[in-house]
Amino acid sequence: MLKTAAVVDAEEHFFLSTLSPGSAQKRIALFVVLGLVVVFALITGGLFPGTQGSRVNAFVPAYLTAMFVCDSITATLLFAEFSILRARAILVIASAYFFTALILIPYALTFPGVFTTNGLLGGLQSAACVYVLWHFGFPVFVIGYVLWKDRRPSSPAWNGSTRTAIAQSIALTAVLVAVAGFVCIAGEAWLPPIMLDTARFGPQWPYLVGAPIALISISALIVLWLRGRSVLDLWLLVVMFLYLIEVPLSYYPAPSRFSGGWYAVRIFGFSASSLVLIVLLYEIETLYARLLGAVLAQRREREARLMTGNAIAATIAHEVKQPLTAIATSAAAGFRFLDRPTPNLDRAKEAFRQIVADGHRAAEVVGSIRAMFKNDVRTRTALDVNDLIREALALEHSDLLKHRIQVEADMDGRLPEVRGDRVQVQQVLLNLITNAIEAMAVIEEPRVLRVNSKPYESDGVVISVADTGAGISARDSERIFNPLFTTKPDGMGMGLSICRAIIEAHDGRLWVAPNPPRGAIFQFSLRSRASLVSDSGAEARARL
Amino acid sequence: MTDDTPDFIIAVVDDDQRVLESLQTLLESANYGVRVFASGPTLLESGCVAKIDGLVSDVAMPEMDGFELSRRIRAVRPTLPIILITGHAAMWKLAPPDSLGDYRLLEKPFDGVDLLAVVADALRNTWKPQP
Repeated sequence: MLKTAAVVDAEEHFFLSTLSPGSAQKRIALFVVLGLVVVFALITGGLFPGTQGSRVNAFVPAYLTAMFVCDSITATLLFAEFSILRARAILVIASAYFFTALILIPYALTFPGVFTTNGLLGGLQSAACVYVLWHFGFPVFVIGYVLWKDRRPSSPAWNGSTRTAIAQSIALTAVLVAVAGFVCIAGEAWLPPIMLDTARFGPQWPYLVGAPIALISISALIVLWLRGRSVLDLWLLVVMFLYLIEVPLSYYPAPSRFSGGWYAVRIFGFSASSLVLIVLLYEIETLYARLLGAVLAQRREREARLMTGNAIAATIAHEVKQPLTAIATSAAAGFRFLDRPTPNLDRAKEAFRQIVADGHRAAEVVGSIRAMFKNDVRTRTALDVNDLIREALALEHSDLLKHRIQVEADMDGRLPEVRGDRVQVQQVLLNLITNAIEAMAVIEEPRVLRVNSKPYESDGVVISVADTGAGISARDSERIFNPLFTTKPDGMGMGLSICRAIIEAHDGRLWVAPNPPRGAIFQFSLRSRASLVSDSGAEARARL
Repeated sequence: MTDDTPDFIIAVVDDDQRVLESLQTLLESANYGVRVFASGPTLLESGCVAKIDGLVSDVAMPEMDGFELSRRIRAVRPTLPIILITGHAAMWKLAPPDSLGDYRLLEKPFDGVDLLAVVADALRNTWKPQP
């Protein structure tokens, strides 16, 4: 559960609901609003004749279908975003769009002239009532979304199954719409007189329809203005403005359906519905490009790292080959001096002295590897160990998948901060994970890789990489850390010795233990920043 | 073959002093006369090139690598047996040297007995026409 929360933190700049709008976005939003005000002024100023416009019956079904498609897609995209981000607020706004899509069904069924002259279901007031619930309901959802987003910023994650959550939201919204539709259709006789006939609005329209919608839209506007931060919030602000502007447009200059103003309102409504969708699609495309860039950059970084690793290995291999060559050569010479009919003991002794000297030199090579990692104190930074684990698992993702290895990551959220060379520690982790994968690739399933992080000895952190491979025998459990010891047919045997050198250079330890019933656990410890500081202080005092 | 008078003189070139020493001991154990050089130019300037019967040289060396040294020696001694030793066999496969003529290659770390066998074989083949 910690895992998901932290992943959200690291990746939140890839989501519309968490991304901050840029200044360009804000400018575009402002232009849209100003444009709407101009259109509004033109309409009320008499651009369209206030008289009864020509009644185009085909307009309503076409308009409703377009709205339905738009809102359904928006809802789907937002539900998808919830399934990744697991923030309940997203679930609320996704439900809002699902609500506006669904409520079009009772609206279409009751609207006069769509299916039958007086509407397929309900009576004169039904469609108007559905309209009120629709335009009142959506701002309520928006307010709920903003408030929910702010209410519990510390625990925004949904812990259960996202599928269940989405299914529940869809079911709840459907029930809500069904109830609303039922009230408007079956309870038509008790509804207040909004409509005079199938076209004209009654004198009470401003109080029964206009005022509630305007008030709730203004409330939503205020809440969004005060609390809104993301791109999604910005565009919802514009949508709420559209809802607000619809109210006077519907009544002035002509309080009737199929007037110029009424057609304008439908177009406004459709704009509102498609606005968030267009922005969502545009942002998804932009973010996809950014994500692709990030993935490619990460891949390049990994390749660069592997190359550094290979270069180090090649250098070490070369360094070790020199004394080995000398040892093999001198040994053969010594043997030949002794194997003569009259053994030349002096020359044989000389050869053996050379062997001893070269043996020491081979040991020095290993020592110098350690020194090589020790020198880099300047590159030490504060490390987020859990972040390193996530990154390593992401880098090995395709290999883990390929070998059908199940990954269990259990990361402690309250680890002390440790310092180290990020690239080196990451190499150790990658090396251990790669070894675990290779150990499990040759065995039967189940193959389980378990990576843990835990506090260690009051001031440090211990990271363990456990596999369910063949395991390591007690005899080999120290030898595996020696240079040139390998169980792999094509391995150089430098991996674990380098890993141990790196960890020891970080004042940590690297060790191996059995993982009953099967496999091995490699563990390494790193010390916290505080203890390093106090150690160097003690060292300074000791020198004095 | 007696213990006192070497039949052949071998020049050994390696920038690694300890490898150089061990090669000298090994070749001396097989009764070769050995001249050791820390670099290609030292050998070329020593005036020994005309007197040696074989060359054992490292490939990767600063200043002048084993290929370049072999090329220069071939110009004066076209049939001289040359044995190259390298820690990077892969590099060799990537860039096979041209116009180097006949040579033997050993990859480090090698078995001392193998080196002696290769040296003996190279010398035998070269001297076969002149029994």
